Amino acid sequence: MSSRWTHALAVSGMVLLTGPPVHVDAQGSARQVGAGVPRMPDGHPDLQGTYDLNTLTPVVRPAGMPAVLTPEAAARLEAAVTESLSESEQALDANRSAPPAGGDGSPGAAGNVGGYNTFWLDPARTYMMVNGEIRTSLIVDPPAGRVPPMTAEGAARFAAQRNAASPDQPPVDDPGLGDPDSYNDPEQRPLGERCILGFGSTSGPPALPNYFYNNLHQIVQTPGHILILSEMVHDVRIVRMKAEHLPAHMKFWMGDSVGHWEGDTLVVDTTNFNDKTRFRGSGEGLHVVERFTRVDANNLLYQFTVEDPATWVSSWSGEYVWPRTDDPIYEYACHENNYALEGVLRGARFRESEDAKQ
Amino acid sequence: MKQLCKSLALLIATGAVATPAVAHHSFGGEFDANRPVLLRGKVTRVQWVNPHVWIHIAVTKDDGTTEEWMVEGGSPNTLTRLGLTAESVKVGTELVVDGYQARDPTLLRANGRNITYPDGRQLMLGSSKTNQER
Repeated sequence: MSSRWTHALAVSGMVLLTGPPVHVDAQGSARQVGAGVPRMPDGHPDLQGTYDLNTLTPVVRPAGMPAVLTPEAAARLEAAVTESLSESEQALDANRSAPPAGGDGSPGAAGNVGGYNTFWLDPARTYMMVNGEIRTSLIVDPPAGRVPPMTAEGAARFAAQRNAASPDQPPVDDPGLGDPDSYNDPEQRPLGERCILGFGSTSGPPALPNYFYNNLHQIVQTPGHILILSEMVHDVRIVRMKAEHLPAHMKFWMGDSVGHWEGDTLVVDTTNFNDKTRFRGSGEGLHVVERFTRVDANNLLYQFTVEDPATWVSSWSGEYVWPRTDDPIYEYACHENNYALEGVLRGARFRESEDAKQ
Repeated sequence: MKQLCKSLALLIATGAVATPAVAHHSFGGEFDANRPVLLRGKVTRVQWVNPHVWIHIAVTKDDGTTEEWMVEGGSPNTLTRLGLTAESVKVGTELVVDGYQARDPTLLRANGRNITYPDGRQLMLGSSKTNQER
């Protein structure tokens, strides 16, 4: 039985992203934005609003997929997703028994224990359309739609961060557990599990969909600062306009962001990351450039370039559209009721005490 | 169709759970796949909180004693946007939960793999305000 999650992590309203096409030139700056885009008193486009970043399109292109889907192929996939989600919401057997001992085979975050019902999720409805193309990845460079290979240094650091099992370690007969040594210290746990930053680089930079829920972001704009609030974990990035980066010895979880306008595009440059951010294995040398262009009243084109020469052999870039939403962002207070982290660590300590008895 | 579904699952799986560094916490670290449970009980308390909603149920065992279990759900924000609240799960409501117990078995906690009413309808979908806006 495959996981309800792999079926139904996304739902489709069976319509492709409609609205005016988003035009982008080769350098990534948008053409002059249309008449529907309001302007601030200083003349710059008003980027303000709440946006829902979720999409069916993943960050990385799955193997075997073309870069662009035909409308017919996209419609078929979206319909299949809708069907999967409907199946996952059907009533269950009133006389069902406990799930199978040894796990139900659910992969990834569902941890072989089946996670939770799909009604908790806020799945996306459509694939991402940019420049009239229905994309199968947010990454556009490298053209294969994948993150470039890591450098040797980056790969070694990434393995150490993940406490990857050494070759002589006996295999773990518990697929949901992963590496049993990654529970010795709360600081080994992912930042989302610790309620420090939202999972999936939701705050960024770069800001990415997390494909689950709470993908809402709000932009507030003043002449001197632009603020980006991410619902998880109530993070606010503050972009200082026309400013210099802080000294290199100052390092931050979300880096230090400075911005300027290039025509109607906001360009945000972020450096000064600490060694704990670890965006897909990055180090302190992470450098992210983001470009925000409000292409019409309801859509913001978000483009990003990521580089860290100590981690990846080349830079990589992606783009997707942030549609405006009327939904409110709610507080995501996280730490005080984080029973999950407690449960994870207590489980590890219990395992240790059981092992010690043997 | 089967091929499409495989591609689709792959598409979604790749997007959602790319690497451990970006993954949501693994339920597999919190709950024990070797301790499946089937719980029937009445709601005593709902913690409508992030990062996870916890629904407390009183489970009456065969010997007549009662155990208080905590059942872990997802984030409440999506459901709040649909008009649901902690009061949508009324105290006293009977629920059936299948899932797995915490890896520390001194904790009477389980993941809400499936939370339903006794007739099998899923919890939030079966309430009066359903996800009709999807």
